[in-house]
Amino acid sequence: MRGVVFDIRRGVAKDGPGLRTSVFLKGCPLRCVWCHNPESQSPQIERAATTGEICGREMSVADVMEEVLRDRIFYESSSGGVTLTGGEPMMQADFTFALASSARSEGVHVALDTSGFAPWPAFEKMMSVVNLFLYDLKCMDAARHRELTGADNCTILDNLLRLDAAGAKTWLRFPLAPGLNDSPEDIAALRNFVAGLRNVEKTEICPYHPLGLEKYVKFGRKVLYDNPEYASAKDVARWEAALRGFA
Amino acid sequence: MDYTERMARLTARKIAQTREKQERLGARDEDDYGLVLPPASFKVELPVRDATGQWSGPRAWAANFRWLMENHPCYIDPDDAIAGRWMFMLSRMRLGYQLSRSNFAFDYSSLEPLQKKYDITTGIGKDAHFAPDYKIGLELGWGGLVEKVRATRLRFRGRAAARPAGDDADETAYAIELMDAEESAILGVMAWTRRLAAAADDRAMTEDDPVRRENLVETAKTCYKIVEARPETFREAVQWIAIFNMASRTYNRDGAGGQLDELLRPYYERDKAAGILTDEDAEFYVFCLLLNDPHYYQIGGPSADGRDQTSRMSYIILDAAAKLKSSCNLTIRVWDGMDRALFRRGVEILLENRLGYPRFSGDKALVEGFMRNGYSAELARSRIAVGCNWMSLPGLEYTLNDVVKINIAKVFEVAFAESDSLESLEAAYRRHFKAAVEVTAKGIDFHLAHQYLNEPELMLNLLSHGPVEKGRDVSHGGAQYYNMAIDGAGLAVVADSFGAIEERVVREGAVSFAQLKSAVASDFGGEDGERVRRIMAASGRYGAGGTAADRWAGKLTEILVAEIAGRTTPDGFKLIPGWFTWADTIRFGKSVGATPNGRRAGEPISHGANPLPGFRKDGALTAMAAAIASVQPGYGNTAPWQLEVDVGLANDSTAVEKIMALIDGHFKLGGTLVNINVVDAEKILAAHKDPSKFPDLVVRVTGFTAYFNSLSPAFRELVVKRLVREEGFSR
Repeated sequence: MRGVVFDIRRGVAKDGPGLRTSVFLKGCPLRCVWCHNPESQSPQIERAATTGEICGREMSVADVMEEVLRDRIFYESSSGGVTLTGGEPMMQADFTFALASSARSEGVHVALDTSGFAPWPAFEKMMSVVNLFLYDLKCMDAARHRELTGADNCTILDNLLRLDAAGAKTWLRFPLAPGLNDSPEDIAALRNFVAGLRNVEKTEICPYHPLGLEKYVKFGRKVLYDNPEYASAKDVARWEAALRGFA
Repeated sequence: MDYTERMARLTARKIAQTREKQERLGARDEDDYGLVLPPASFKVELPVRDATGQWSGPRAWAANFRWLMENHPCYIDPDDAIAGRWMFMLSRMRLGYQLSRSNFAFDYSSLEPLQKKYDITTGIGKDAHFAPDYKIGLELGWGGLVEKVRATRLRFRGRAAARPAGDDADETAYAIELMDAEESAILGVMAWTRRLAAAADDRAMTEDDPVRRENLVETAKTCYKIVEARPETFREAVQWIAIFNMASRTYNRDGAGGQLDELLRPYYERDKAAGILTDEDAEFYVFCLLLNDPHYYQIGGPSADGRDQTSRMSYIILDAAAKLKSSCNLTIRVWDGMDRALFRRGVEILLENRLGYPRFSGDKALVEGFMRNGYSAELARSRIAVGCNWMSLPGLEYTLNDVVKINIAKVFEVAFAESDSLESLEAAYRRHFKAAVEVTAKGIDFHLAHQYLNEPELMLNLLSHGPVEKGRDVSHGGAQYYNMAIDGAGLAVVADSFGAIEERVVREGAVSFAQLKSAVASDFGGEDGERVRRIMAASGRYGAGGTAADRWAGKLTEILVAEIAGRTTPDGFKLIPGWFTWADTIRFGKSVGATPNGRRAGEPISHGANPLPGFRKDGALTAMAAAIASVQPGYGNTAPWQLEVDVGLANDSTAVEKIMALIDGHFKLGGTLVNINVVDAEKILAAHKDPSKFPDLVVRVTGFTAYFNSLSPAFRELVVKRLVREEGFSR
């Protein structure tokens, strides 16, 4: 089985516990306005308009696993593993499942970094091979979620509730961008929703950064959120306090 | 006034002294060494120099050294528990001294054409670079040492009288001259120690502050005691080690340390039991010792019989180093049976202080590797990391560590010039590398045959098992073991060049071999040359994992090992391979034209076993760790991993665990030594622009640490280029 991968990064110190290899799968059904990987959105292999650089390559499960297993010793020494990310890895659900199965059969811890926007049966199947779900929650308001990502959040929230009910271990991640989804009401809504979940092991904020902006030009995409500033430390502190319920 | 205030003042003075050194001496791309400047009025008037400004032989060295010791300015700091700082390096006072080429009184011009052809750092005339056994001196004191020397001299005088014209008359005469010289050297050190004591006493008379006055009185008492007698208390032992270090530095820059926790533990335990030492006292004394000179000390690790040596003393040393916040070369030995808390505390200090220490050695691979040379496990466990990259058995082994190097980028250049295909290039490389090793080995023999007449190791002989007993210099039969180091330098440049040829010329046919040769010969000049350069430079690199260059790095290591490990020089001295460049990447690079990996003529070669910067887009630390582990020669000498970690990773709440996991993984894969800088990229970049704004910034340049503002712009640039930036969240 083959899939389209646009990057593999080794020695990643984030994206799950320990030291990890992150496999970036191409294609995403959402169009988040702040997305800093616009080259990940199309499921097709594409060429950058300005540099001619090719983004994405077809790889077999064995190709990817060869790269993943190079760092096995570091997964063991750090309790790390592989993180399947994207794009949205569930856009290539069969390939993602095959990768995760292969990693598990090698004894490698598997994290799936997902927006949650995929049919439930695919997630249900994935539970047998994924150790940890890194699950994005972007906005609780359905209408604004649609404005910010191109889709409403019903499926996302429903999948999360089902995963939680089934006992799937989850780290929730909140991509927050100043002025878009960070009002006190937004964060209170996130907090209240999370309070009802039972199997969330950790929550973390992913503050907005502008590093993807130049890639919009490179890949001929229209910039949807033209903010060249990093989220400030003050913003992040405010968000963290609000999530703890102190704001 | 407590120790914290005294430490702060001592560190501040150290920074001021470093600034003065930079102002007077200019950029120095070397270890800080701990030396301070002599008073401007002080004049060195060495008694023995010939018309060309040279001297050689035991008698001359002893006379000059004794003059320096007897006249050496006495540095006393009322806050410091240790008297003295060193100010001169006798071995650099011969006219025409160069770091890259030692003065040598004997002609080896017959070897020079090939040495130059392959850009070999020969080691001929190089001194120190092996380890003393401090226990010898601590147990005997200077008085005991001088008696030992005199006893040997008496024995050889007897032999000379009994057999004045015997076959061994020359040897006997040399032994007597050497013992005369040793005696003179010791008397010089004793005289300086006595003057230090008197200087501390004098200073105490005028000191108003009672704490400082008491410290000065104690310093004087300590120094008077150890002029002759062996040290008995913890403070005396620390002062004795410092005196030896400073004297040995003054003689010939020797910077090897030892297993400091085990050296000091008996004194610590005795004084504690007697109620005359607290942990705070011990920590302060060690702080002063580390401040005095950044010798290469170890803590932890296995004893000869395989037990963990970690003790309360190990932690006291580590905590003292943490408070030092200056240049420091402390190594924690990491192994399976270790106290993990010591490892953890070491990593915490590395991340908190961000000053490039401690560093970590991988004892499993080092011990197993050294045993491949035919040595026992007990001996292998006693071999420790006592220099930038070097391993040595304290007091037992002569090694020429870190001073014999073959620039394999130069060997490659010679081979490339006479090749027309990848196959012929590989064959030529193997042929020329073999020739380079042969001439290097002959150079080592030449050194071992003559160095005792050129520059005997008057200080290190005293703390070695054999030279005084046998009346022979350590470089000439005095040591018990001779394991001569040969390091390859330029691994990544050559591996990437071979890999690029395999990928672009052979596999893809994007460039022909002839086109490549023409482009390289023109230093990638013109449009076509630049096109070829870009194509070659974009090929997979060593370190990326699974590339042609990675395979070539493995093959180059096999070639290195095949030609060196298990081999001997023509005179029968064992050789041990390693990969290490020290701070010579710039100098080596200048002698090599453009290379097929896209490197332009004269640019620096790669550092040690490290991949070149940009080896992977993600700069993956795990990939680097795995690559460097895969090219370990595996015979007990190191191929260190020089790692720069951005402060972003250090700020992660799980950073300690992750750095430990990286180091653990590297050592499990066979890694031997890890030198880590935790750097704030923005701070380094700002300091690169204006170093004077960051007088306290210390970085690990290679095996050694140095103040960033004491480095030349070219060296600062190398540190900047090695920075590994933090990767952000994937999403």
